[in-house]
Amino acid sequence: MIILRKLWNNLHLFMALPAILLFGLFFIYPLAQGIGISLTDSNGMSAPRFIGLQNFVDFFHDARAKKDVYNTVFFAIGSAPLLNLFGFLYALILDRPFKGKGFVRAVVYLPAVISPLIMGYVWYFILQPDRGFLYHLLENLHLGTGGSDWLGNAHSALIVLVFINVWQFVGMTMIIYLAGLQSIPKELYEACEIDGAGYMKSLWYITIPMVVQSIKINVVTNIIGSLSVFEVIMALTDGGPGYSTESLSIYILRMLYGSFTGYSTAVAMVLFAMIIIPVFIFMRYINKKEFEM
Amino acid sequence: MRRKKLGLLLSGVMMLGLLAGCGGKNADSPNPSSSAGMAQETGPKETVKLKFFTGKVETVDLMNTLIQKFNSENPGIEVEQEYQKDASNVIKVKFASGDIPDITTVVEQDYIDQGKYLDLSNEPFWPRVLPAVKELSTDVKSGKQYQVATNVTMAGIFYNKKIFQELGLKEALTWNDFKANLQAVKDKKPDVTPLFIAGRESWTLGHLIEFLAHGIIKQDLGVKSSREAFINNESDKLKFDQENGPIDTFAKRLLELQEAGLMNKDALTATYDNQKEAFATGKAAMISQGMWVVADLLKISPDFQIDIGFSPYPSIQDGTKPVVLSADDSRYAITAESKHPEEAKKFLEFLLQPENLKTYSEFLKSPPAFTDVTADWGPLKDQANQALSSGVNIAFTDSPSGFSGDDAGRMVQELLAGQYSTSLDFAKAYKDAWDKAWKATHR
Repeated sequence: MIILRKLWNNLHLFMALPAILLFGLFFIYPLAQGIGISLTDSNGMSAPRFIGLQNFVDFFHDARAKKDVYNTVFFAIGSAPLLNLFGFLYALILDRPFKGKGFVRAVVYLPAVISPLIMGYVWYFILQPDRGFLYHLLENLHLGTGGSDWLGNAHSALIVLVFINVWQFVGMTMIIYLAGLQSIPKELYEACEIDGAGYMKSLWYITIPMVVQSIKINVVTNIIGSLSVFEVIMALTDGGPGYSTESLSIYILRMLYGSFTGYSTAVAMVLFAMIIIPVFIFMRYINKKEFEM
Repeated sequence: MRRKKLGLLLSGVMMLGLLAGCGGKNADSPNPSSSAGMAQETGPKETVKLKFFTGKVETVDLMNTLIQKFNSENPGIEVEQEYQKDASNVIKVKFASGDIPDITTVVEQDYIDQGKYLDLSNEPFWPRVLPAVKELSTDVKSGKQYQVATNVTMAGIFYNKKIFQELGLKEALTWNDFKANLQAVKDKKPDVTPLFIAGRESWTLGHLIEFLAHGIIKQDLGVKSSREAFINNESDKLKFDQENGPIDTFAKRLLELQEAGLMNKDALTATYDNQKEAFATGKAAMISQGMWVVADLLKISPDFQIDIGFSPYPSIQDGTKPVVLSADDSRYAITAESKHPEEAKKFLEFLLQPENLKTYSEFLKSPPAFTDVTADWGPLKDQANQALSSGVNIAFTDSPSGFSGDDAGRMVQELLAGQYSTSLDFAKAYKDAWDKAWKATHR
């Protein structure tokens, strides 16, 4: 009888079991297996041999990997803050009542519906030097087309990639901020107004602290999304010219295909750490902040 | 407390995974007993599903037509085609995960070494195959044939005859003549790109290394020894990193063209489609391509046929000869782990029937490798024969599976983007990348 009651009282724990099993099967198990493979010299064909941390040592001596880390971090550092800044500004503007608000919101959000792969190809046709849409536009407007080789140059190609990413996903960030803004009680602003605070003050003391949850979600999803960037680069530059715009995700795929299964898994682990560590630090920091409020 | 329990459970799952990860792969080793059992269980009445895995985008529609014909002629067997863009890499995932195709166009030396393909040496069709193609289909290590090629393909310099006639140019067999031709186009026809490079697609640049740089090695050593040198990575024969060696010379030549402005400005971002269009519409005088391009050129501009010229690649080093790719094309292999090898052989025999080979060759505009097939394969027949006699015939390179033509092409992109300070640096980097990939599968 006691056992039954205990079981009944802890029934909710058992209800979590299917979720835990699925999570274990599709996340924890592959992750653990990945850690196992990353410690071997597996080439995907012959039997793997255990080589300890050699793959990780190699990673830090691999010039191409370092360049890819730079590209990935550049992309993330460029994208995440811009996405948040513009997403928040869009949300502030589109939260105010005006005619055609719904339409404008939809337009801003629209690119996010399209796959980044398609987006990359569309932009490729716009930006292609000598024959793209933009080239012909500049030519016809007599604005000069001299520096139109945006994709053939490593640095400008990276900037173009950040721009496309921000343009595409700013709507997604905006929607989350909008939801946050709409959950703020009007009374707070009224009280603020009575106290004589201007728009900037109410923004700083009410709006931003109240949308902290949205900031959290946005920053975390943007960091994860930007650090694991893959499709848009594949479509727009194919990681090129050479390897100059290759991201870590693309490197992982190419190494996996190139008979370096063990090494590519090790790089995947490094990328995993690169994503999880900043997210973790940020969550800790923002939780403390919330507590102080 | 509850969190602890949960954590314990999750870490338990994790440990299990770790064990499995270190335990290696069981899917790797074929299990002959189980596959034999499967074959017995499958009675004659059950439909056998054959998976045909291809990396040849240009033949997808044609193969579907042939497959339909085969399926209707052979009740009880159903062939399904699967195409993947990066087929030579995707098949690795298929082998590893056990999703193994029965018959495929993807044949790589590494997989031959791993015993992934069925030995076809004793099949009845071999006497019908051109001896040169049979030699290229023979594994240099075991002397057996694990693949059969139905066609011969060629690659070289395609040029616009009309422009050549207008400017009074002749096919170039030496580097200086080749450069002079390009310069003449540049000087006299400023609107025309002398040599159009489709550098965004790394395979086209990989081909340049395979034909121009490796061309020197291939003509020095001959078909058999050069294949052995590539497959066994005999670095004293390949001389990849040697000053004025094949790779160094190639890099110098390519940079020469770039510096002189003899290639398109957007050589790094132009696609294969851009290249075909520019050439077929007379906006480019020369391109480096293979016979596979002809059908598409004629699609863009049907009247262009009379203007297409074809010549060997010029020699890039003094004392060497011009080369033309003449290699086995459209290869087929049956996988060793196929559960239906008999049915797969039946499908292969069907593909090798003279009438089907004729259809195939005429569609692909590529000469058949079977002596009993007479196909009207294309407008370049005579020119191709001439090129074959004026240039040394070379084959594709057997590169390590971790260093594909795409990978080599990306290095050429880097070269064109100015990321190597000297051509010798490029040659050394090339050798490093090749060696690293070779070692990954030979240990």
